[in-house]
Amino acid sequence: MTSTLKTIRGKAENLLAGGLADGVLCLGRDRFNVVQPRLFHKAEEVGSLEIEPKWNLAKLAMQTLRSAEKSFRLTVVCRGCDERALLELVKRNQIDASRMTTLSYTCGREQAEACLCPRPYPENPAAGEKIEGVDPFGDPRFASLLAGDDQERMARWTGLLSRCLKCYGCRNACPICVCTPCKLEDDLWVERSAVPAEMIPYHLIRAFHLSDTCVACGACQDACPVGIPLLALQLVMRRSLREKYGYEAGLEADRKSPLLMDFEHASPAGFALPAWTVSSEAPHER
Amino acid sequence: MNVQGIVDKTTRGTPRVLVFACRWCALVGADAVGRGRADLPASFRVIPVECAAMVEPDSVLRALASGADGVAVMGCHLGGCRFNDANHVALKRMEALGDLLDAVGIGRRRLLLSFGTAHEGRQFAEVLGAFFRELEPLPSLAAWRKTLLNQPSFR
Amino acid sequence: MPGVIAILCRCCGQIEPAVDLQALRERIDREAGVVSVEVRDSLCLPEDGAAIVKAVESSGADRILLAACSQYGKAGAVVSALCARGIDRSRVRLVDIREGCAWIHRGDRTAATAKACDLLCMGLGFLRYGGCSTDAVVAVRPECLVAGAGSAGLAAAVSIARAGFQVHLVERAAEGGGMLKLISRVYPTDVEAAEKLRPYLEEVERNPRIAFHPKTRVVSATGFAGDFKVRLASATGDVNVRVGAVILATGAGVWLPRGLYRYGELKEVLTLMELERRQREGKTAAKRSVFIQCAGARCPERPYCATMCCPSSIKNAVLLRKADPDAEVTILHRDIMTPGHILERYYRSALEAGVRFVRFAVEEPPMISGEGHVEHVEVFDAISGVKREIEADQVVLSTPLVANADNAKLAELFHVPLDDYGFFREDYPLHPLETRQGGVFICGSARWPVSSGEAATQGEGAAMKALAILCREKLSARSMSRLPEGKLGHARIEDGACSGCGNCVAVCPYEACTLQRVGGAFVSRANKMRCRACGSCTAVCPNGTVQMPEHNARAVGAMIRRAFAEGDAG
Repeated sequence: MTSTLKTIRGKAENLLAGGLADGVLCLGRDRFNVVQPRLFHKAEEVGSLEIEPKWNLAKLAMQTLRSAEKSFRLTVVCRGCDERALLELVKRNQIDASRMTTLSYTCGREQAEACLCPRPYPENPAAGEKIEGVDPFGDPRFASLLAGDDQERMARWTGLLSRCLKCYGCRNACPICVCTPCKLEDDLWVERSAVPAEMIPYHLIRAFHLSDTCVACGACQDACPVGIPLLALQLVMRRSLREKYGYEAGLEADRKSPLLMDFEHASPAGFALPAWTVSSEAPHER
Repeated sequence: MNVQGIVDKTTRGTPRVLVFACRWCALVGADAVGRGRADLPASFRVIPVECAAMVEPDSVLRALASGADGVAVMGCHLGGCRFNDANHVALKRMEALGDLLDAVGIGRRRLLLSFGTAHEGRQFAEVLGAFFRELEPLPSLAAWRKTLLNQPSFR
Repeated sequence: MPGVIAILCRCCGQIEPAVDLQALRERIDREAGVVSVEVRDSLCLPEDGAAIVKAVESSGADRILLAACSQYGKAGAVVSALCARGIDRSRVRLVDIREGCAWIHRGDRTAATAKACDLLCMGLGFLRYGGCSTDAVVAVRPECLVAGAGSAGLAAAVSIARAGFQVHLVERAAEGGGMLKLISRVYPTDVEAAEKLRPYLEEVERNPRIAFHPKTRVVSATGFAGDFKVRLASATGDVNVRVGAVILATGAGVWLPRGLYRYGELKEVLTLMELERRQREGKTAAKRSVFIQCAGARCPERPYCATMCCPSSIKNAVLLRKADPDAEVTILHRDIMTPGHILERYYRSALEAGVRFVRFAVEEPPMISGEGHVEHVEVFDAISGVKREIEADQVVLSTPLVANADNAKLAELFHVPLDDYGFFREDYPLHPLETRQGGVFICGSARWPVSSGEAATQGEGAAMKALAILCREKLSARSMSRLPEGKLGHARIEDGACSGCGNCVAVCPYEACTLQRVGGAFVSRANKMRCRACGSCTAVCPNGTVQMPEHNARAVGAMIRRAFAEGDAG
């Protein structure tokens, strides 16, 4: 057992034993030796807590909190990308931050390279050592996805996206995709009977919607049964926002996407809006 | 699937352009072109909008998937938006869309962003003409789509 | 279900050379939902109006598609006339097949006809899904809030009260008067400031329609033009007021030039305000005075000219000379800003009174010399090219007005943007004294540093703008528009579809969308009065929950799909 796992188990046990959390969401090994997400309620159960393989729990955390009682306090055991996803969900008012805490840990070198992750660690990990990330654009396999002129790229991506079965796995797995109803199921935008899902209406609409909120967790790619490298498109958008506006989704709790604000003001009213969730019909007390 | 034949360089006639024109500036420019009796290719259609900020990026994508070779989003001069700099936000958003179009090879060249024509007919014609020339050598998106739709569903 | 009547205008023969109207007519007749197609010679002649209405009524159609010239020409008037006869605007669609088609595609009849077909089919698609916003009507509160009782605020309050409406005049100090209380005389008339203030302050006392709230601050504000709910807080407790309009007249702030020209180090270096206080108290003993203009203005941190400092210095310089004809008074300046003939004469009178003016270049500012006290001021005279040493007993720094420190908080409360220097941002250029928020007006030095006379003028102007709202009993959401034809509509949020992400809240230039708690989640609500129908929200909503019925996504989608349908047939 790694020291990270030991630390996490210990901390989870303390939280549950001390009544500081009503539930700890993590992976657990069940009696069939299958590892899958589990909501731990009691400290004694923590012995079967696992943190491998990489499994993004942000969306499950959101759904858990939605179906739990108001008083339920949840701790989510998560990697860096998961924590960033949780932050974006808080920003978009899908999770009440006062009901949730994170128990986060860093990823190892193998995982970082597998994910081509530039930031394989949470901001304040409870366990593990931060290691240097990987630049995806420096990786030859990744770079080859974007290489060539317009024609070559179009041919390549047409081919890749034509594998799509329209299983909606990418949309379902993505922690940021929470809209109900979803545009991708509306035949105004996406032809319902077309399989594969058409490249432009389905994939590009989804990719653009996520352009300023994707945290590059890779859940979409992991979920895709035909292995389409969906993350590549999002990484391009993330890089563009970082270069132009210094903005990276998942890192700043009180900064809104630059695509929602005009050039001259941080917010339409000329000052930083207090918090996402403050309604301006309610009295502004200062 | 053999994709080689799908993306070919030959075009068919003038490129098709869908223009979203804000009705305060760009649409008046289009109107001025008409009153000036200019002669333009007939392969563009204009959709009037209240403001360039109202154009959804998804509409641009839908247009590219519905037979348009290029989409033009035209609004008022930056700083002259009726709705207090909403066109600034539109510009940023559409530029980001351009990044995405580049990544998949459709190309940001197919998305024209023009905030420079007020009621100026000549500018409208020039901007549109330049856009047509830019699109001419590019493959036809309509043909591309048709070929894709005619493919068997699974390999 | 009733359908569409399509009326194609020949424009008296203007269309046919380029577009085959007959083919167009046949094509549109085949479209589902079209109950009648007519070709007319014209739509805009006086007899056409009644004929069109008759045709519509006899066809039984409930929607009208007009193919004619552009909306900027006669066709716009035709549509307006139809609407004036009671037909809802959302049920009429005008398609431009003249300026937009026949007149620009004269060379290729087939292509032009195909385009006209596509344009009409787009119009049909739009008509199928185009909707209509429900209007909202609010009763206007016949009261006004004026924040700030300086020159601008007093003038505004008195104007509104005299017009017959209740005013709540809020002032953070114990008395009204603002900056005029701090100065001795007002340029260019040199009347005592207290004299200028007196009639206003007396009116405030006397007029029962002015409720004066001294030592009070605005602490919360919600609402929209016609009905703002504002909470005022003072030591004696809170007061809630409901007003139809708000005027921000909170004035500017004074800036202390610490570190500049040895201010703070030598006690003989003072600011113009401090000199004014001494004038008021009668303590003007200095024999030799040097004024330095643009102290802290027109520099990188504050690149603006505050417009008042030159006349103010001139006023004080002349007063010093009059008080003591032997006094030596010099004004060191980069430029003298005295626009207009009255101020120009004021400047010349200073020359006649014996005030000396020396110009310096921005690269070589004056230097204050002296150990422990001011001995002289060294300045390189930019006009004569000579270095001068001017002996001085006091150095007066003419500093600019800066934005009031309260502006940021008020801006947040009323959702009014600030400019780069912290002053309230005006909805420039064609909406003077107005801000981005309907019903909130700005005047005086809160808007930009001005003299008290100019501030009073602006106060009255803002009062006029406020009165335009206050004197109406009701305001409708549609009327809340600066456009002659009113707003297109307003945003509508579909029940049950909003995920509460807040994109619309962030992007709206008018803060019309807000998040409200419903059950355990957040849901967006659009304020119809604040919404200006720009459509920004619709473009950022991830699942199309917020729409403008008059231009909704289904209607636009129908247009997009049909844009190249005819061309595709090839």
